[in-house]
Amino acid sequence: MPEWLLKDENYQPLPDRDTFIDKSILSLLRILSRIRAQSGYTGGKHSVHAVYKVACTFLLIVLLSVSRNIWFLAAVGAYLLAALSLMSADRIIRVIKAGLIISFFSFLILLPAFLMGNRYSPVMIPLKTLATVTAVGILSHTTGWHAVTGALKSFFIPDIFIFVLDITIKYIVMLGELSLDLFYSLKLRSVGKNVEKYSSLSGIAGTMFLKSKEMAEDMYSAMECRGFTGSYRVRRRFRFTPADFLYIVVHILLITIFVYLG
Amino acid sequence: MHIPDNYLSPSTCAALGAAVAPVWALSVKKVKKEITKAKMPLLGIGASFSFLMMMFNVPLPGGTTGHAVGGTLLAILLGPFSACISVSVALLIQALFFGDGGILSFGANCFNMAFVLPFVGYFVYKFIKDRVRTEKGEFIGIAVGSYIGINAAALCAAIEFGIQPLLFKDAAGHALYSPYPLSVSIPAMLIPHLLVAGVVEAVFTVAIFAFIKKVSPGTIYEGAKEKSKAIYGLLAALILMTPLGLLATGTAWGEWGADEIQEVVSNGQALGFIPQGMQNGFSFEAMMPDYSVGGIPEIAGYILSAVAGVALLLILFKIISSLKKANHSVHE
Repeated sequence: MPEWLLKDENYQPLPDRDTFIDKSILSLLRILSRIRAQSGYTGGKHSVHAVYKVACTFLLIVLLSVSRNIWFLAAVGAYLLAALSLMSADRIIRVIKAGLIISFFSFLILLPAFLMGNRYSPVMIPLKTLATVTAVGILSHTTGWHAVTGALKSFFIPDIFIFVLDITIKYIVMLGELSLDLFYSLKLRSVGKNVEKYSSLSGIAGTMFLKSKEMAEDMYSAMECRGFTGSYRVRRRFRFTPADFLYIVVHILLITIFVYLG
Repeated sequence: MHIPDNYLSPSTCAALGAAVAPVWALSVKKVKKEITKAKMPLLGIGASFSFLMMMFNVPLPGGTTGHAVGGTLLAILLGPFSACISVSVALLIQALFFGDGGILSFGANCFNMAFVLPFVGYFVYKFIKDRVRTEKGEFIGIAVGSYIGINAAALCAAIEFGIQPLLFKDAAGHALYSPYPLSVSIPAMLIPHLLVAGVVEAVFTVAIFAFIKKVSPGTIYEGAKEKSKAIYGLLAALILMTPLGLLATGTAWGEWGADEIQEVVSNGQALGFIPQGMQNGFSFEAMMPDYSVGGIPEIAGYILSAVAGVALLLILFKIISSLKKANHSVHE
């Protein structure tokens, strides 16, 4: 065995700050796991059709935004709680968490206005925000994104837009994984003090861009080989299940309450 | 800078959405002409690039981190029209799937971050680059362009917030949406952007651009030179149209003027009379007498609270049992 291998070494790496790498890794992981979890979701037997869900969620958000009646908010809140209670616990926690964080943040922003004597918006806006974010959260946690893009097609949104949207979601995963690997390697290679670390960040982003150009070219070739002409067709039978019926009835009820309360 | 729902009135959202629509249409047309069919996937991939850019945490002095938007960078790399489409799609995904930025305020967010930011940034960059024809000039152009771009976007967001209390109030004079006037919203938005976010954006943009230029200089978008005059004209026209689009909320414009004058003259004492005019302008306001008094019949109230109560219990039960399960598996 060579001499240098037997020598006792005591290397203490100098401490260095790399919170920005950890934070970037965490936010990338969050996005990736979120998209993966969603693409796996196909909806159960009793799930409501995505078209109705997207349309009704949008309607609900408009009504919430227009309404100035706290009772309407309470009615929507009751409906949202009921819808939430049908979901699985981990999804419930995620939806509620997102809503609470955002509405607490907006409450903080509006606190000075409350102290200045405005009693309306500091109360209503955080509550409305909570309801809106929960509604969107329920939609996105119970519907796969392919179903949402499919629903967009039914609303006569141009193909080029759906095409771009579809590619975007797929490539967020592809490019996200790539940059995640780059971040891991930057972290692994930064033992002790690494003064080059900050400039490596631009390298990661730059590499990502160059890679995305390559991927785009590859993708076009692949599309051409498979005969994709750029137009989308949504193939589905028209179906109207009891769940759809119930869903629409609930929303008609909410509209009635909205009109009744004026 | 992502404006959530309920901070802007629906009519402001609609007006801003209407203001972005022609930009989108023009962008799609331009992109179809400029970009060959072979490069179409690049739009989507550019959108995912801009989405992920916002995930990159940049270290700031003091141990905290911030993130860049990268709108100007995309405009320089792909061209402003492609950048507009890419950023819009990235914003839509953030709003639809991640609750970041509102659904109704999507138009407003696109106006600020997908239109104002990349276009202002790009044309400032181009203006400087065409006059200082050295490499240094190019980098200065990028730094200044991205700095001005993000601050212009922040200013637009601040104005959108700030006009809400002038335009939309209830009978008691309380703001219905964002309650802060321009005198509060503009400094609150602009100071952090001028001091921190703008600097982060400029440094990040220059660094990435330098990297790409060094590694693969051929990939950067070359704007058509002879057309630049027409584009400046378009930009100027769009900037001039911006306030028009913002204020295109029907009757509100006149009332806003009167309201403001009234406020200046009598130090905010005339609030009882202006909202009457506003009530006539917006039928939904006239329909609603008072948000806290208008009630629902007792029975409906009981039913609603029963639904909410049962749902709450179900949710609690589900969460507790899932926590128990998690504990159980840890012990095993």
